[in-house]
Amino acid sequence: MPSLQAGYAPNLSFYLKSLKAQPVESSIENLISLLKRRQITNSRPCAVATAHLLLQVVAKFRWTNIDKLIKRIQDVGRRLIEAQPREMVVGNIVRRVLGMVRDEAKEDRNEDASDSASNSQSDRGASHSGGPPPTFSPLRFSTTDDSDSTEATGDDVFEGQSHGASRPPLITSHTSYAPAGGLPPQKSMFQLLSANPSPASTPPGAQSPQNTSNLNATSLAHRITTSTKDLKAEVIEGIEEIVDELDQADDRIAAQSLEYIHSNEVILTHSSSKSVQKFLLEAAKKRKFTVIIAESYPNDHEATHKSVTRSISTDAEGADELSTPKFSKSLSDAGITVILMTDATIFAIMSRVNKVILATHAVIANGGLIAAAGARIIAKAARVHRTPVIVVSGVYKLSPQYPFEFESLIEYGDPGNIVRYQDGALVENLEVDNPVYDYVPPDLVDLYITNIGAHAPSYLYRIVADHYKTEDINFDKPELQ
Amino acid sequence: MPSTDQAAPAAKAETPTPSQQLEAPKLSGAELKKQKQAEKAARRAQAVQGKPVTPSGPPTPVQKGEQKQQKRRGSTSGSRELPVRQPESNAAPKAPPVEDKTVEFFRHLSKPHKKTITGTPKDIHPAAQILGMQFCNYAICGSTARLLATLELFKELVQSYTVPPRTTLKLHFTTHVLNPHIGYLISFRPLSISMGNAISWFKREISKVSIDISDSEAKKMLCDAIDMYIRERVTFADQAIAATTTEKIRDGDVILTYAKSSIVQRSLLQAHEEGKKFRVIAVDSRPLHEGKNLAETLANAGIEVKYCLINGLSHNIQDATKVLLGAHAMMSNGRLLSRIGTALVAMEANDAEKPVIVLCETVKFTDRVALDSIVLNEIAPADELVIPGGALEGWRDVKKLQLCNPMYDVTPAEYIQMIVTESGCVPPTSVPVLHRLVNEPEIQ
Repeated sequence: MPSLQAGYAPNLSFYLKSLKAQPVESSIENLISLLKRRQITNSRPCAVATAHLLLQVVAKFRWTNIDKLIKRIQDVGRRLIEAQPREMVVGNIVRRVLGMVRDEAKEDRNEDASDSASNSQSDRGASHSGGPPPTFSPLRFSTTDDSDSTEATGDDVFEGQSHGASRPPLITSHTSYAPAGGLPPQKSMFQLLSANPSPASTPPGAQSPQNTSNLNATSLAHRITTSTKDLKAEVIEGIEEIVDELDQADDRIAAQSLEYIHSNEVILTHSSSKSVQKFLLEAAKKRKFTVIIAESYPNDHEATHKSVTRSISTDAEGADELSTPKFSKSLSDAGITVILMTDATIFAIMSRVNKVILATHAVIANGGLIAAAGARIIAKAARVHRTPVIVVSGVYKLSPQYPFEFESLIEYGDPGNIVRYQDGALVENLEVDNPVYDYVPPDLVDLYITNIGAHAPSYLYRIVADHYKTEDINFDKPELQ
Repeated sequence: MPSTDQAAPAAKAETPTPSQQLEAPKLSGAELKKQKQAEKAARRAQAVQGKPVTPSGPPTPVQKGEQKQQKRRGSTSGSRELPVRQPESNAAPKAPPVEDKTVEFFRHLSKPHKKTITGTPKDIHPAAQILGMQFCNYAICGSTARLLATLELFKELVQSYTVPPRTTLKLHFTTHVLNPHIGYLISFRPLSISMGNAISWFKREISKVSIDISDSEAKKMLCDAIDMYIRERVTFADQAIAATTTEKIRDGDVILTYAKSSIVQRSLLQAHEEGKKFRVIAVDSRPLHEGKNLAETLANAGIEVKYCLINGLSHNIQDATKVLLGAHAMMSNGRLLSRIGTALVAMEANDAEKPVIVLCETVKFTDRVALDSIVLNEIAPADELVIPGGALEGWRDVKKLQLCNPMYDVTPAEYIQMIVTESGCVPPTSVPVLHRLVNEPEIQ
């Protein structure tokens, strides 16, 4: 577990500390109530809490077969999502873990099935089949290397060798491939190539777990004794990779900042996102520019004000964060001129702004985003003035969900932030509206900068396909499966 | 100028110490001279004792004044005092340079606003002092309200004015009474466009006064003219606009409006009185929260009101059927100068294809043009953005942090479908024509 800072909001760090000591069930209940009470809010803390909880779930759950584990994770995930459906990262992390477990299981199964023969080919193919960019899970590559070394067939995986042994699982997997028909073509492409010598074989792409058990029924007893432990270790390792990714996402995004910011620029941003601040700080090491911050009153203005005035990072998202205590400068300390303005001034100042950088709460598969209220008018004003809009977001915020109605993703906050309860007459007679988030459609965004690079909004669906398995996308809604 | 002649000996007689100079950072021209005299006197006194003077005044607000002072001193008092001034100019750079907290884009607009009536020149009418305070604490804030209050002040000035011997009202009043008072009001807040129009009209009226009529007759004539102007250009205009707007509101309408405009409020109330069934969405923003006042008034009148801040605008614009906006001024190129944030509302309305209707008296029309909101604007004191008890309280100590609080923004003409004036409903392209017709009658 990463070292804990003295938190600004103790809830996340407190929860993480309690995780190891408590039984899993009470940890789950604990997180559910924290989510429900909004004691853990914002994307990153939610993601971190979910990942750590799932780590415990996997570690402490006694399982004999991979189906049960998947079922268990789905179960926990469903409960967490129900607790706070608008924190979309919770679902994202659960899906990532599920996908990772499925990948591990597939590798494991292939290894298993090919015990008797030298069939590194199918093994290799399977391990590469779902191979997203290495940032997602370098783990898979390391395991591949392991299998290579143990089975000693070397690198000549494309040489047609004895495929007889490897074929049965592939063929059965073909039958089970049908329900998961929505697989992206890229995955099967490699498979087609690698399986070229045997035209009958089709990509093992995504074997559904139900078949896994049937398939390996013969070797089940063997597996339970030998490989369950390895698999468990691998799954845990995989979750830790995700946790690491959460920690490093901001740094990886920030590392790209110099490619987007030139000197003497005027950049407009809003609210108090830690990702954006890091991004700008990194650029400030080399370049001098001006940052205009819209305060996003009334829900986030206090954090914004704190982040511009104090030299310690006290924004809600940042301080209860686990890692990187070295982040301790405010933008103005770094030598950037910071201009704080109200949200209403956006149109007036937009004609002098070179770039708009938006922070986000969640990104949805169509390239749109959910961000702090006011983001939409900023993006629109930017479009009117032909100012490029850049969205800075970790991949973990990218959600495979694509809701029919975007209003359903918008959370409404406390109207008492706008009209105080002291104004008795006003409270009686007025309907007060305080949305916390805005939906920004993809056509208002020019560029997404994630921890795996910069993408056009139209490309995001590909990254979704790389990171989530099709069968996991609607796992929380059984009626859609 | 007689007033400074009197002031100078008085200052000499008092022989003020340098410490007295530190107390008054904001200086008018007359005071500046007085201070200069006093400084000179003090320096002479100390030069006799052989001590160099280092007046270590607060460097912040008077910098401009001090520079002027030094220039003038150099020209008037000659080289004799230069050696004495030497240590002073050496001492100046030692003080840490005070960071300019004004935003670079708006630096041309940033003037220190007067916040108190201390240091008011003695010939300023008390009513002007009250009005100045009301301007600077936004008790009188709207363009129309400020226009009315200013005209009432002018009436007061005319009535309390006595023509000095060997001159006439026509020759003396404008330069010696009207202009100083206008300058005094500007030191609290810049003039609104409507005030500018009214002032030039009033000066025209004064110049029209015949020399032959008696002073009391002339005063009465001017007061009547002011009353007439108020009645024609504001009272009746508002009635006409409210009547036209009421016609445009239908049953079932959802009217979205931004901040507070007196004429929008009046129109909505009138429509409600006439029995129209409609809802209002009042959008508001920091720091003035004028919309809260509007929402309260409308809700108390029994209208169904929804209140939200500008960040909730995107969520509510779809529900609206019409957008009614008030104006600070209509520029000659059809753009609307109005409370900061109006442009965002108009933009969103345009995007959602809702009609944007501006209610504006012709007295707010101007022949000036605006392309952006930066060249022509008013910058309110940045400290108004600070929430008491909030993190921003110490913002002046944070290096390189600036707060910016502009008052107006310019809405592009293409967002505006219609301008309702007392002379009828016109498109934004007709603003210059209407302006010529009503505000510059002599051109015709």
